[in-house]
Amino acid sequence: MKKRIQTFLMKYSSSGKGSLYALILMVVFLIATTPSFVSMNNFLNIIDQITINGIMAIGVTLVIITGGIDLSVGSVLAFSMMTFGVLTKDASLPYVLSITIGILAGTACGLVNGLLVTKAKIPPFIATLSMLSIARGLANIVSGNTQRYDFAFWFSDLSGKRYFNLFSITTTLLLVLTILFALYMKYREGGKRIYAIGFNPEVARLAGVKVERVTTMVYVISGTLAGLAGIVLNSQLSSSQPYAAVGYELNVIAAVVIGGASLSGGIGTIGGTFIGALIIGVLRNGLNLNGVNVFMQQVLIGVVIAITVGIDMLRSRK
Amino acid sequence: MVKRSAASALSGTSAGKTLRNIVKGPIVGLLAIILFFAAVTPGFFSFGNFINIFNQIAIWGVLALGMTFVISTGGVDLSVGCVLGLASMVMGYAAEYLGLPFPLAMLLGTLVGPVAGLINGLLVSKVKLPPFIATLSMFYVARGLANIITDGDQILNYPAWFIGLNYTRYLGFITVSGIVFLLLVGSSQFFLTKTGAGRNLLAVGGSEEVARLSGINVDRHLILAYVISGTFAAIAGIMIASRVNASEPAQGTTYELYAIAIAVIGGTSLSGGEGSIIGTLIGAFIIGILNNGLNLNGISPFIQTILVGVIIVFAVGLDMFSRTRGGSRPQHAA
Amino acid sequence: MKTIGKIFTVMAVMLVIMSGSMFAQGEKEDGTLTIGLAVPNLQADFFSQIKDSVVAQAAAEGTELIIVDAKNDGATQVNQVQDLITRKIDGLIYIPAGATAASVPVQLAKSADIPVICVDRFPPDMRGDTFIASDSVESARILGEWVIEQTGGVGRVAVIHGQMGTTPQVDRTKGWETAMATAPGMVTVAENSADWDQAKAFTVAQDMLQKDPTISVFFGQCDTMALGAARAVELANLDHDVLVVGFDGDVAALKELKNGVFDATCTQQTQLMGKLAYESVKKAIAGESLPQDQLQLATLTTIENVEGFIANHP
Repeated sequence: MKKRIQTFLMKYSSSGKGSLYALILMVVFLIATTPSFVSMNNFLNIIDQITINGIMAIGVTLVIITGGIDLSVGSVLAFSMMTFGVLTKDASLPYVLSITIGILAGTACGLVNGLLVTKAKIPPFIATLSMLSIARGLANIVSGNTQRYDFAFWFSDLSGKRYFNLFSITTTLLLVLTILFALYMKYREGGKRIYAIGFNPEVARLAGVKVERVTTMVYVISGTLAGLAGIVLNSQLSSSQPYAAVGYELNVIAAVVIGGASLSGGIGTIGGTFIGALIIGVLRNGLNLNGVNVFMQQVLIGVVIAITVGIDMLRSRK
Repeated sequence: MVKRSAASALSGTSAGKTLRNIVKGPIVGLLAIILFFAAVTPGFFSFGNFINIFNQIAIWGVLALGMTFVISTGGVDLSVGCVLGLASMVMGYAAEYLGLPFPLAMLLGTLVGPVAGLINGLLVSKVKLPPFIATLSMFYVARGLANIITDGDQILNYPAWFIGLNYTRYLGFITVSGIVFLLLVGSSQFFLTKTGAGRNLLAVGGSEEVARLSGINVDRHLILAYVISGTFAAIAGIMIASRVNASEPAQGTTYELYAIAIAVIGGTSLSGGEGSIIGTLIGAFIIGILNNGLNLNGISPFIQTILVGVIIVFAVGLDMFSRTRGGSRPQHAA
Repeated sequence: MKTIGKIFTVMAVMLVIMSGSMFAQGEKEDGTLTIGLAVPNLQADFFSQIKDSVVAQAAAEGTELIIVDAKNDGATQVNQVQDLITRKIDGLIYIPAGATAASVPVQLAKSADIPVICVDRFPPDMRGDTFIASDSVESARILGEWVIEQTGGVGRVAVIHGQMGTTPQVDRTKGWETAMATAPGMVTVAENSADWDQAKAFTVAQDMLQKDPTISVFFGQCDTMALGAARAVELANLDHDVLVVGFDGDVAALKELKNGVFDATCTQQTQLMGKLAYESVKKAIAGESLPQDQLQLATLTTIENVEGFIANHP
């Protein structure tokens, strides 16, 4: 039983290479055509711009690997953000405490998602779609539907100040989380269990994996990371907005799938997801720098998504 | 007492099994909602209101019907909201900018559907893109094109007869769009359950490999499902233009999620292989009655957002609960 | 057989319900007015403020107020207005959703003899009983003139548009361009849309500055976008000052204006508009006639006069 899982893992852990080639192609094309693209500053901007997406995408990757999906991340981000904002500005709690509670708000939503999926047997699409509505409504109610602003300078510096002219604290956070989770998924038992569930939950259960607990766990992680992303966005915008991150979930899922993950489960890597997020970020940046009409940008993004994943599909059809 | 013996008397027959299945599934959720709202809401229990609800759900219902076909094959169509918008814009552009006769404009708008669906179907069957990605691409492309057509401008002032398709009530209660909706329900039900092609769609959703081995042309049936979904989305686009007396590029935003939710509430499984048109119809009524009831009760919009989410979970949960009780297939983790 | 069974059951249920409907009728209380308020999107501060103003007025007089939020969707708003009419409202305050106003809700209300007050946008082919809005064109023109004055008529201008095709976007662009046309030294070097979203505006502005670091003026067509642009300017560490202006006069934005985060905005008189809307709908219900348009200027607000607006939002 374990051997079957192992051979499966070895076969599919190299997925997502197609997206790397696509990224390289895109970068080369932009270097050749767009002078303003070629600068350290622009590169750092891009990493900044994909930070929110990237953090959320880590959690969603895990969920998708188990064969599930999480549509609620945008709304959970907003709920966490508002919880943090209200606690900091209205209740005057110290930042450390309000940040923690804000993130925990995301964790709580993730827990609810996980329980709905494992205990109530609600399909993840429906459970997280409902959470999308519920968390958004909560974000509005918690905040009385108004923004919070006027945060401490050190807080907005977390995303604004680049150390050694390189990375800000929040960008470093993205990179560290990406590396940590990538290592976890590849080398730790916990990571292998997640893949096993996606591959076949029945087989995993027979192999001794506590399927329900691990499945709930990935939703909790996804919610927690969405909460963290909310704090980061708050720092970037220097305000808490109940309407933040509307529609972000599709971008996040796109990054994950472009990066090679399969929606049926069992396949996907954190590294691949990071590349997927980069592809979307580079694409938007390139289009903006070239002054491409915003509507044409939409069309091009759709085409690029199809081509990138298409190349990967055609490659692996051996 | 009487109910039980009647049930046991009938249970042997297929009609009896069907009745039991319906009663257990989403209709329980529907009845619960109706009875609750009747008890608390002035104005809910009126003929006029029910006709309103029927017309209100028509657009989402048509989308959900098309979605049912796609989900039955184990896929999903995220592009329906954007195809709806594109169809509406194409029709408007053809009529107002190109000056074409209106019925021709309507036809052109409708054609957007099968074209988009064909592309989706080809991407899924030939290029082997996951349906989520293929239709997500179409989502962006269709929305972008809808915007490009008029550079973001809306199109207004449709002919009075066109608006009448949505509002003129014949015999006091039925509109042309209502008739279109019913016809689509009827033909979808017939197609899915009575024709070979329909049954093949379900077989493909159950297992592509097994279907292929049984001699079913899987690719062709996949394409068919997406073409149907796209066509229905375009029809919904024409309907919305008539209902709102305007075409604008953003029409249909977020509609795809609710189309999927309606189909799933109605009992169509996201894993594929099962599809219920009547279930989708019931799901549409549930959402429609829910929104109507919340509006009539003057519930704050933010509470509404939360309640809709909670009730969707509740309705699907009921359905899941009744399935496992009935001893049907064990649930996959997804 | 199966299909017929299913269809039969559904029809039977519906028939039972409809026959029940003969016996149940809602009764309205006499004396209290019921007003419907149809809002495009309560997530937007502008609409939220108007709503708050109307709520305060209604609460003070004991009027029943039913609020529906269309989430920017035209078809949803039609459904909601239909439901409001079923609910037998006496009057409707209608803020159209979608890129521009759909006439259908006005038509529906008129067929039911319910007066309609249009706010912010109006259907050109079916005006309501009155139209209350800010004169965005004139206000944006005044804003543009102020910018020209501040920069001495010379500048490299970047415009961040709202959702293309929406009435505010169209109007504000028109007013701004009218002003810019009077000063040949003002060159527009970049234009893009950020769909009224702050995070998007931040990215767009960042990329604009990357392409052209000599930009000296940013016009974000709403305050949240202006704030996004201001942040991008701050992080870009440029060697020259950049003038950042917005529009709306959101409560949060005014405070940031005071802190010097950005330079000017046009404060829409949301409280006044809400009050006017409420009073107008009452007048219309009572059968009084109303002016066709009640346009308000959105007042130019800079750090000099912002205090007053913060203390008392118009």
